[in-house]
Amino acid sequence: MAVDRSDLLQGTLDMLILKIVALGPVHGYGISQRIQQVSREVLQVQQGSLYPALHRLEKRGWLAATWGESESGRQAKFYRLSAKGRKQLQLEESQWNRLAEAIALVLRSAS
Amino acid sequence: MPWWWKSLFRKRALDTQLNSEIRFHIDELTDANVAAGMSLEEARRRAVLEFGGGEQIKEDLRDVHRVAIVETTLANLKSALRFLRKSPSFSMTVILTLALGIGANSAVFSAIDAILLRPLPFPNGDQLMKLSQHYVKANGVPTVVAPVRLEDWNRMNSTFQAMTGYYTENSSETSGTLPEKLSEAFVTQRFLQVWGVSPALGRDFSPEEEHVGGPSAVLISDRFWRNRFEASQDVLGKKLRIGNRSLSIIGVMPASFLFPERDVDLWSAVPVDAPIAQNRRWTWYKVIGRLKPGVTLTQAQANLAAVQAQLGRAYPETDKDLAVEIKALKEMTVGESRGSLWMLFASVTLLLLIACTNIVTLLLARATQRQHEIAVRFSLGASRSAIVTQLLTEVFVLAFFGATLGLFVAAGTSKVFRSLASGLPRVEEIRLDWRVMLYALACTIVATLLCGLVPAIRGSSRTLSGSLAQANRTQVSGRNRLQWLLVGTQVALAVTLLAGAGLLFRSLRALGQVSPGFDASRVLTFRISGSYGETADWEKLSQRIEQSVEVLGKLPGVEAAATTGDDLPGVPQHYPTELEFVEGEQDPEHKIVAESRFVSPSFFSTMQIPLLAGQGCRDPLLVPKSTPADLTGMRHVDVTRIEVLVNRSFAATYAPGSTAVGRHLSVQGLAFLKPEQAGEIRGIVGDAREEGMNHEPSPTVYWCMSASGPDPFYIVRTHSAQPLTMAGTLRQKIQEIEPGRSVFGITPLEELIDDAFAENRMRTVLLTFFAATAVSLACIGLYGTLSYSVNVRQREVGLRLALGALRGQITKQFLLQGLRVTLVGCAAGWVLALACSRILSGMLYGVSPSDVVTLSSVVLLVIIVAMVASLVPAVRAARLDPMRVLREE
Repeated sequence: MAVDRSDLLQGTLDMLILKIVALGPVHGYGISQRIQQVSREVLQVQQGSLYPALHRLEKRGWLAATWGESESGRQAKFYRLSAKGRKQLQLEESQWNRLAEAIALVLRSAS
Repeated sequence: MPWWWKSLFRKRALDTQLNSEIRFHIDELTDANVAAGMSLEEARRRAVLEFGGGEQIKEDLRDVHRVAIVETTLANLKSALRFLRKSPSFSMTVILTLALGIGANSAVFSAIDAILLRPLPFPNGDQLMKLSQHYVKANGVPTVVAPVRLEDWNRMNSTFQAMTGYYTENSSETSGTLPEKLSEAFVTQRFLQVWGVSPALGRDFSPEEEHVGGPSAVLISDRFWRNRFEASQDVLGKKLRIGNRSLSIIGVMPASFLFPERDVDLWSAVPVDAPIAQNRRWTWYKVIGRLKPGVTLTQAQANLAAVQAQLGRAYPETDKDLAVEIKALKEMTVGESRGSLWMLFASVTLLLLIACTNIVTLLLARATQRQHEIAVRFSLGASRSAIVTQLLTEVFVLAFFGATLGLFVAAGTSKVFRSLASGLPRVEEIRLDWRVMLYALACTIVATLLCGLVPAIRGSSRTLSGSLAQANRTQVSGRNRLQWLLVGTQVALAVTLLAGAGLLFRSLRALGQVSPGFDASRVLTFRISGSYGETADWEKLSQRIEQSVEVLGKLPGVEAAATTGDDLPGVPQHYPTELEFVEGEQDPEHKIVAESRFVSPSFFSTMQIPLLAGQGCRDPLLVPKSTPADLTGMRHVDVTRIEVLVNRSFAATYAPGSTAVGRHLSVQGLAFLKPEQAGEIRGIVGDAREEGMNHEPSPTVYWCMSASGPDPFYIVRTHSAQPLTMAGTLRQKIQEIEPGRSVFGITPLEELIDDAFAENRMRTVLLTFFAATAVSLACIGLYGTLSYSVNVRQREVGLRLALGALRGQITKQFLLQGLRVTLVGCAAGWVLALACSRILSGMLYGVSPSDVVTLSSVVLLVIIVAMVASLVPAVRAARLDPMRVLREE
């Protein structure tokens, strides 16, 4: 399995995917584009990490997938957020925010 | 469909999906590159490059979907097999214990399945009903049905698809060198239609064959076809000679067709319009009907009651007092063995429980030895559930081997059933099939959980394994208490089983010691074939039978000879009839109900039943008749004058304070007695257990008429202790005086009485076997646990010995430990046995289900055996060499 990312990145990748899919049904290519655009090219997701992550999330029941026609007229697999996934996203977001605040706090006070 | 299913079996579909998802991504990237101004070729190359190793990603994706269960299970199985190989003696013990437990359980289940659970082996067997008529006045004893009435029922009812009737007769087939006895069933129209069976070869009866003057036709059994015609295909059209009839064979029935009676060889059709079949008084047929789909028994009963009421109005003389009884044929067939079978099932279930408990103690002891291994696995990062699964897999593998071996045990036990109780209904249908295999598999799973769950959960507890190194030496309490509890449970269950076996055994002995009121030793019984056609002339029939009895009685080596209707003394059979005294007023509130038996006058001297008052019946052949005996020596029997003997209970119950002798009795509903005929009571004889050893003698009327049917039982008292040695002589003599008839069923009376209690014996033998196994298992459990306890406490014992403890004290201490558990187990077992005794009620004779003597001797036996089992480890503990033990530690 492509665990060449650190644990943190793996965890955050799941969260980012959930967040993007939360905006509406989207295919794998769309997700990778969206992460690049939104993060202003800072974050670049390897396809080798993206697809296993998508399938893992689908298996856990956080994402649901259907085949449909893309904007370019090709058959593509679209991912949607399930109710379970929405809850998970909220959980991860709040956890992330708490962690980020805590880190920021440490950084501020230590300087 | 769940995802794991897909990934297991839809691998190709999954791969296609992965491919198209990846291709889509690359196509989109290519489009983007083209839009950025590259050539198509270059755009594609860059896209593939950017996407990265496609194969690697696909493999990663497959990994996500791969089923972990299958692979871990395989790994677990492998490690379980390795574990078995490493500890062969432990594995063999567990496998053998479970083989016995699951095997015995599956064997009894196969019998229950074949006999009780499966429908009868006919299409929609549950629609088949047995119908009979009974006189409302005569205490509701069901009798056979008149042919015309059967046709009326069949025509007028609305709940049955069809009804048919049959009766069987023992005939002689004389086309061979010697007359051969065959059992022939005479059947009415619609016979095969009702059973839903067609001949395996040939055809059903044609309508012409079912009418007077039509061609003669016969269906033969598969057995007869094989024995007599060597299964030849051109048997159709061949002729058989039965008496003066010549029958041509039109078909062969399938081997599985064993009804109405197992030993029927021939089926022939009775013409529905035969003149003899038109009398409403003449009852012949056992009736079987097939219900219409969806009709319940109650509906059918209501319907037939209405039909019979209608007939009662149309023929008040014969049908007014008749009622119809309907019962499910299956219930009629197997009903009586239900109690025995479920009792056996309960006992093998207890046995399996004991086996499982035993294995739990073994596994718990074993878990201590494996703590190290488990601790290592924990430290390598295994999860608790993974370890529990692995431990359970090991037990499952053991149970699976045990069950496989057990199925061989079960195959053997089915044979035991057949040999122990050949009279059990449907016993030939017992076999190992997929249902029994499935059942054994279910047993395996249950046994795995029962045996494995507690040890696995305890064994994998982190706290235990964490502190194991020290705990092992000094601390034996917690886990040990559970083991002793399990040993106590085994003892309790074993006591329960043994108590049941003890009660059955004692009741069998009590039956053997009963004084029956007659002497069955040295008595040989047999029948001589005859046909119901002969009953048209009772006088001639009586004459023939009486003459044979007379000749046989005078044979050298024979003490006395007699006949006794269709029932043998001591073989359970009821024939209650309602009687009336001709003299004096009858109290309608107190009906006279008594067993009726039909015997030749010599019966009482032959069976050695004493005459208490009055005189015996006179020999009908000696009764002077108006015409003197003619020159051929033929004397006549007067069948209009009937003599009767009653037993002591009858006289005491129905003629107390006065004498019954000299009064006359009349009876209704017997074919060979006209309603106006009455029997004169000549005397009173002693009580005899005619209806079986387990029945107190009931009021009985002996009608002194040998010809109650065409082929009564003959009984011959010989001088030899081995009455069978007379068989040849008897056969020869009968061939001489009654040529053209066959002699059959030559059997000592004692053997027949014994066979009547075969089911009794079967359940006693089997339960004793199960109980013995249970006690041995409990002792093995006790022995094992005590040995284990001795092992664990070696250091303590060594220390005490070093400090001067006496060896006797050590032995006593361990013995007492074993005894304490045994005593508690016995007490619990006693209570359990009392609670279970209800199952046995109705199977016991002469002993109460809560018999203190039996229970206490069982407990005593178990205590003694348990003490012997404890002695070995206790003595071993005392023999420990303190120096060696302490040095080792």
